[in-house]
Amino acid sequence: MKTSVVGSRVVREDAWGKVFGQTKFPADVNLQGQIYAVVIRSPHPHARVLGINSEQAMSLAGVVAVLTAKDVPNNSHGVLFRDQPVLAEYIRMVGDPVAVVGAETEEIARAAAKLVEVEYQVLPAVFDPEEAMMPDALPLHPTLRPTNVLYHMPIRRGNLQEGWAQADVVIEKEYSTQHVDHAFLQPEAVLAHVDERGHMVVQTATQYAHYDRGEIAHALGLRFSQVQVKTLAVGGAFGGREDISLQIMAALMAWNTLRPVKMENTREESFYSHSKRHPMRMHYKTGATKDGKLVALEAKIIGDAGAYSSWSINVLRKSAVHASGPYVIPNVSIDSYAVFTNNPYSGAMRGFGAAQTVLAYESQMDLLAKEIGISPLEIRLRNLFKVGSITATGQVLTGSVPLDQCLAKIAPYLQRGGVSQ
Amino acid sequence: MKKRGIGLGCSWYGTGYGNGFPDVSSAFVEIHDDGSATVLTGAVDVGQGSNSIFAQIAAEELGLESKDICVYSGDTDATPDSGTTAATRQTYNTGNAVLKAVRQAKSSLLDYAAHEFSCPTSEGIELKEGYIGVKGDPSRCMPLADMVFQARLKGERFISAESSTARSTPVDPETGQGAPYWPYAFGCQMAEVEVNTETGMVRVLKVVAVHDVGKALNPTQVEGQIAGGVTQGIGFALLEELELKEGKINNPALSSYLIPTALDVPSIEALFVEDAECTGPFGAKGLGEPAMLPTVAAIINAIDDAVGVRITSLPATPEKILQGLAEKKEG
Amino acid sequence: MIEIKLVVNDKPYTLEVEPSERLIDALRNRLGLLGTKEGCGEGECGACTVIMDGKTVNSCLVLAAQANGSVITSIEGVGNRRSPHPVQKAFVEVGAVQCGFCTPGMVLSAKNLLDKNSKPSNEEIGIAMSGNLCRCTGYDKILRAVKIAAEEGKE
Repeated sequence: MKTSVVGSRVVREDAWGKVFGQTKFPADVNLQGQIYAVVIRSPHPHARVLGINSEQAMSLAGVVAVLTAKDVPNNSHGVLFRDQPVLAEYIRMVGDPVAVVGAETEEIARAAAKLVEVEYQVLPAVFDPEEAMMPDALPLHPTLRPTNVLYHMPIRRGNLQEGWAQADVVIEKEYSTQHVDHAFLQPEAVLAHVDERGHMVVQTATQYAHYDRGEIAHALGLRFSQVQVKTLAVGGAFGGREDISLQIMAALMAWNTLRPVKMENTREESFYSHSKRHPMRMHYKTGATKDGKLVALEAKIIGDAGAYSSWSINVLRKSAVHASGPYVIPNVSIDSYAVFTNNPYSGAMRGFGAAQTVLAYESQMDLLAKEIGISPLEIRLRNLFKVGSITATGQVLTGSVPLDQCLAKIAPYLQRGGVSQ
Repeated sequence: MKKRGIGLGCSWYGTGYGNGFPDVSSAFVEIHDDGSATVLTGAVDVGQGSNSIFAQIAAEELGLESKDICVYSGDTDATPDSGTTAATRQTYNTGNAVLKAVRQAKSSLLDYAAHEFSCPTSEGIELKEGYIGVKGDPSRCMPLADMVFQARLKGERFISAESSTARSTPVDPETGQGAPYWPYAFGCQMAEVEVNTETGMVRVLKVVAVHDVGKALNPTQVEGQIAGGVTQGIGFALLEELELKEGKINNPALSSYLIPTALDVPSIEALFVEDAECTGPFGAKGLGEPAMLPTVAAIINAIDDAVGVRITSLPATPEKILQGLAEKKEG
Repeated sequence: MIEIKLVVNDKPYTLEVEPSERLIDALRNRLGLLGTKEGCGEGECGACTVIMDGKTVNSCLVLAAQANGSVITSIEGVGNRRSPHPVQKAFVEVGAVQCGFCTPGMVLSAKNLLDKNSKPSNEEIGIAMSGNLCRCTGYDKILRAVKIAAEEGKE
């Protein structure tokens, strides 16, 4: 199809405001009479809040309110399950918010936050997902799941025994990936106020304004029609602005005090107030014939979901579906697990579970190629998905499947300098 | 000693929510009396440039320029829910919704114009460079603005609301069989690295990235997504690691949690393959997430090519590489 | 409170500041110059870069009191829609802007480099820009934009 605007290098309209420093991120908007709110977060990974004493904090001049779990009409939020408290009474990770302090200035709010006394009953915590999977491990979300296994996805295709019987070469290895932070440049910030209509207006940077609206309305017991979420410029997201961070706390403070409320995370607070990329342990066993045809794959993937479910089910599903790599493998057994621990919660991050498995399946491809004595390019060419190929989930690929074209374009670059001898 | 190596990584990525979850995007369109137009959509532009892409889609369809389109997004009081800016879904999914909405508004405009021009069918009408007229008949042609303004005087407005739902089916919970995502985006990258065998430091010298984008709606933005993805891939492969102790983050600062700087980034050659995806707007697929996927594999494979050390645990720190070199010596 | 005098974007100001107040706070809160962004508060990300007496500084690490007597350029003092600075024009045209949070700091670092060195090598550009973090673009187009701005400046 011939197009003129589509396909051209149109200059982004928003770029001009950004180069002049005119673009408004949430930290750049203010309202007359606004107060500032800061969060008190748990220093413990697993604990019960036994009591919160805010008397001393409230006696500090300029402190407007200290809100805790009992002030939240419906104390939960979450993208798949509402298993995350707005303000926690039961702590599942370091950084869980337990109280929010509102004051005339940010300095006063921060000083007052130090005066709030929180009494914790510290509980034993689990940080290793494989330990957390043990049947005797204390379940972190007993109402959601009887054990810490939040999700298991099996993929079964073909006959694995036949696959191993056909294999001339088998490579078996363990791979692991780390906790990663989105580290978007703009720390979370919110400006919330009750406007002249009596509506709760929340200006923030989010990936999904309508989701935020729903969670704010739920927590505060309002109708969607009474809550406006307006997205200002978003300073990078990469999945880290999928879950709620400060939005509900700011709205709650504004709703309770009827004052505009500004909240801004420091970089350190930011690290504690959004999800992480799932660390994964991946056990891979891959078999190929001496001609370099893949015949069998057995994979076990364990993802550390951390303290809350967030998108873990979808992430570990994506890991399982993509675990084969873009290659035809007739005999497959894949098991993928998402497991609760007391680590910072894991959620969406660019690549969403498919970023981790690349390490495993592409390392296996190079190791197999070496063993068989063909080039890394050749082994991929012999197995890649084409139109009509069937994936490990039995999906027939139709339409646009141009991996062969991609490899044809990159092939000349692999010659230069020479691939491994 | 410094040793160089080359590595290849391939990847695939199913875009959209997947697994049968309703993946819906929506858009409202209004064609104004002067022939310009506004697109309203809930899809948040998180910096990747979706607003600009939607403007291009609307402009293309209406025979206008991007600057003739106002895109307003991400305000729940004004824009329809268009799903989250994630899952590499906005160009594809909301792009489709915008295109559908523009086409709907355009369709009533064409019907109106066909009647005004006494043209038997609306297929005979075209929109081009701000004009509307009968194809191949310059005598029956007028500025789009005049046509829309005259229509208003007769009580006709060209506004629309549309939504678009991506296809996917849930997988069987026992066997994992099913068609969980569509479309899939493919890509491959080559990394050339230099490994210092004394310090274990890895320098990425060059990355060539080839990605399947269906159709590059804006090549500049495609290149930007690829370079950004490759750089996050370099961070994932070599630098970034949250250090946790008993669930506490030991490095919650950009001075201790290191992300790539301008000096960590090699020359990046961004190439793309345009094999139209028939379900995408003008053939486009998403690219946001796929752009970072192959990098880690290309780098890890290149390290092995350079020094014969197979890193299986990320990130590939100098310590791990030195340890691998030492084990190789012993072995 | 401490009284300081400084020139910001060619305008003289006399301000009363707290002893612990940072320059970024004075610029943002007292002068309303909100183009200066805070990304980390520890001088690592460069989003708060301003030019102070001809040198780029992280305004989160400079006390307002230390800026007494200095001449400062913030992003608001560099170009506008009618006459963008060559760096700004190149950033926009090349596609060096994505989320834009790092952009003001990037533009100031690039401008200051070109003010001092009109023909920087690629390596000099990389070093000059390495104090400014960007998480979106992968720097590729940013570095290209600086190169193009330098070449345009020469003509």
